[in-house]
Amino acid sequence: MAHGKEVHLDDNIQIGDEASDLGKKALGIGVVALVLGVVVGGGPLGRQFTASYLVAFLYVLALGLGLLWFVTIQHLTNAKWSVVVRRVAEILAANMPVLALLALPVIIPIVIGQSEIYEWSDPSKVAQSPALEHKAGYLNVTFFLIRVVVYFGFWGLLSRYFLKQSIDQDTSGKPEVNKSLQAVSAPSMILFGLTLTFCAFDLIMSVDPDFFSTIFGVYYFGGAVASGYSLLALSLMWLQGKGRLTHSVNREHYHDLGKMMFAFGVVFWSYIAFSQFMLIWYGDVPEETHWFHDRFNGDWKIVSGALLLCHFVIPFFGLLSRHVKRNRKTLAFWAFWLLVIEYVDLYWLVMPSLSKDEIPLHIADLLCWVGVVGVFVGAAAMRAKGKNLVPTKDPRLADSLAFLNP
Amino acid sequence: MSQAPKKARHTGPAPLHGLLAEYDSPDALIRGAEKVRNAGFRDWDTFTPFPVHGIDGAMGIRPTILPWIILCGGLGGCTLALGFQWWANGVDYPFLISGKPFWSVPANIPITFELTVLFSALTAVFGMFALNKLPQPAHPLDLKERFARSTDDRFFVLVQASDPVFDERDTRTLLETSGATAVEDVPEDVKSESEMPRGILYVLLILAAASTIPFALAAYARESKTTTTRFDIVPDMDFQQKFKGQRMNTFFADKRADRLQIEGTVAVGELHDDDHLYAGKLNGVFARTFPPSIHIDQATMDRGRERFGIYCTPCHGQVGEGDGMVHQRALSLAEGTWVPPSNITDERLRVMPVGEIFNTITHGVRNMPAYGHQIPAEDRWAIILYVRALQKSRAAELKDLSEQERESLIRGG
Repeated sequence: MAHGKEVHLDDNIQIGDEASDLGKKALGIGVVALVLGVVVGGGPLGRQFTASYLVAFLYVLALGLGLLWFVTIQHLTNAKWSVVVRRVAEILAANMPVLALLALPVIIPIVIGQSEIYEWSDPSKVAQSPALEHKAGYLNVTFFLIRVVVYFGFWGLLSRYFLKQSIDQDTSGKPEVNKSLQAVSAPSMILFGLTLTFCAFDLIMSVDPDFFSTIFGVYYFGGAVASGYSLLALSLMWLQGKGRLTHSVNREHYHDLGKMMFAFGVVFWSYIAFSQFMLIWYGDVPEETHWFHDRFNGDWKIVSGALLLCHFVIPFFGLLSRHVKRNRKTLAFWAFWLLVIEYVDLYWLVMPSLSKDEIPLHIADLLCWVGVVGVFVGAAAMRAKGKNLVPTKDPRLADSLAFLNP
Repeated sequence: MSQAPKKARHTGPAPLHGLLAEYDSPDALIRGAEKVRNAGFRDWDTFTPFPVHGIDGAMGIRPTILPWIILCGGLGGCTLALGFQWWANGVDYPFLISGKPFWSVPANIPITFELTVLFSALTAVFGMFALNKLPQPAHPLDLKERFARSTDDRFFVLVQASDPVFDERDTRTLLETSGATAVEDVPEDVKSESEMPRGILYVLLILAAASTIPFALAAYARESKTTTTRFDIVPDMDFQQKFKGQRMNTFFADKRADRLQIEGTVAVGELHDDDHLYAGKLNGVFARTFPPSIHIDQATMDRGRERFGIYCTPCHGQVGEGDGMVHQRALSLAEGTWVPPSNITDERLRVMPVGEIFNTITHGVRNMPAYGHQIPAEDRWAIILYVRALQKSRAAELKDLSEQERESLIRGG
């Protein structure tokens, strides 16, 4: 086992023009796709665009939140294994302010009272429904706006703080930084749990404002963390393909990322999804069952079955073996798989409430997805340019480099 | 590891079991183990106080098959759980619970999950024991004083003499030049029993036999009858300080625990002197009109419809045709003793006086139970009003419709 704080990193840990090239291309494609999405989706307030954009936005928000959670939990637990992969996660998670910007097409229609999909933001619809009137103390536009500002403000500050402190340590080399980051991450973890939960209530659950499920936030969290790990693994593979981090990151680190993908994307997600389903199924109360009724009827039945198979059964056996997690190619396959199924999952959460029985596939879905993912990847790539991709002065770096799975 | 020889009664010096090399750090052990591995040994092992990263590779151990065994154990637990629940709920003892199918997979998942985890864990532990050939009651190394430090701060390699590559002098030199701090002979253990001590074996056998006793008792209890009174674990619960209905109480002259209403008295709110309202009778015959205190209006109709939905639909069905869920369930059981509920839209019931219907709801008829104690009289009348509406809906004539409705019928709209 290696010890000692000074580590000589014999590795290429910076990326320059390749990152900015990717960044410009991705940003360009993203913006063009978004503009096209607006056009084919019936304008920025059109029902099709609003719905397609919401699913796409929830998708990149899941990526960002998953990675922000990863960075927070590594600091909180004083983790050693993850030091060499943490900086890439920090750079990706620092997209949170960009995500706040991307949230505007979701938030603005609600604030100006023109939303086609959030019934509770329309006073005339609230007046017709005793349930919505009763919930108006929480589900009203003013309070919604306050909450959203708190969510994105907190996430933006936290992600930028983590990245800045970590990069400053590269020059200062102060080991105390880890202590203060750990101290910050403990209360942040609690706030993270609360903000993510209520954000999931506000943005996803309130599309069907009659439905309520307290576990809903945890459900979104499971998928978010799994997609965060998947994106991190793929980003590392891309960097290694470009000749970066080839000595620092090895299959031991991929193995651990794979374990987390298996744990969160397959087992945890299924556990939470079933916990939500079983209580509602057993209780059999119409206020709750109608949500699953929408998803178990018509064409949605196929999507529900596909989720059970492709989010649980198939990846469970696919990702179970350690050999799969230690092999870069097979791990890349399952990372792609989990990233695809996360989109299906979010689509399944939002769309059946807006379109009963029929799957409203539309070209705007694809354009919005390409748009926000392009902006997300582009912004992260631009940010990565010229930065160290490994926290070079982190006192736990030597342990991380020498890390072996038992 | 080879087994120690069976109960060898040896005279003279014990034969050599192998050579033991001691190292003072995990790194030294790994370097030593690599040398032994490269020399082509197969009957050898390393011993450490804690798990040492990288020792598998240094020893050239192939990946264990334990994960596959655990997978089989987990799938076995999963199958057993699902299979047993299917057999118990769906085949052996079908029991209707809140209208769900007899065999409902969602309800089975928690048990299935638990048994899968349990079987995986047990297979992992006992599979590990089996692959390591445990328990091993005696081993030559147990006699080596130096070896005790393998549980504290020293790291050991044991190369067995049974290995084909083993040569006492060459192997000793190999170990001595591998970074070991000491190399020692390990003689065979000729004194200890190599088999499980008889005492332990007997205890295990007795425990195994005893574990069948609860099952035997349960089986016996199922097949036998007893005349002795039952054993009361909580007498306060079994013998409560109160009298139940229809029991004897020697305190009173008539020995009834139930007390009859005292003659000439009326309980508060129980003065039912209006025969029309409370018995459905006018001048001793069933009334054909609603009591004057019942308002024939939309509010009463809505109340009646709601009460009908609660009390009547389980047997009579949503529109009163006698096809409720209880009836359907009874037919599916096909037991042959079922008296079907009446179709309340029949001619017979359409002409029946409302007072008689009231009497039926109050006291029951055939296998319909009495509802008088559950449904207040006003609600019973509200139900009858709704029943009349249902009956009318099944025997309506053109003249019952309004001008407008007749128009729309003619236009086919």
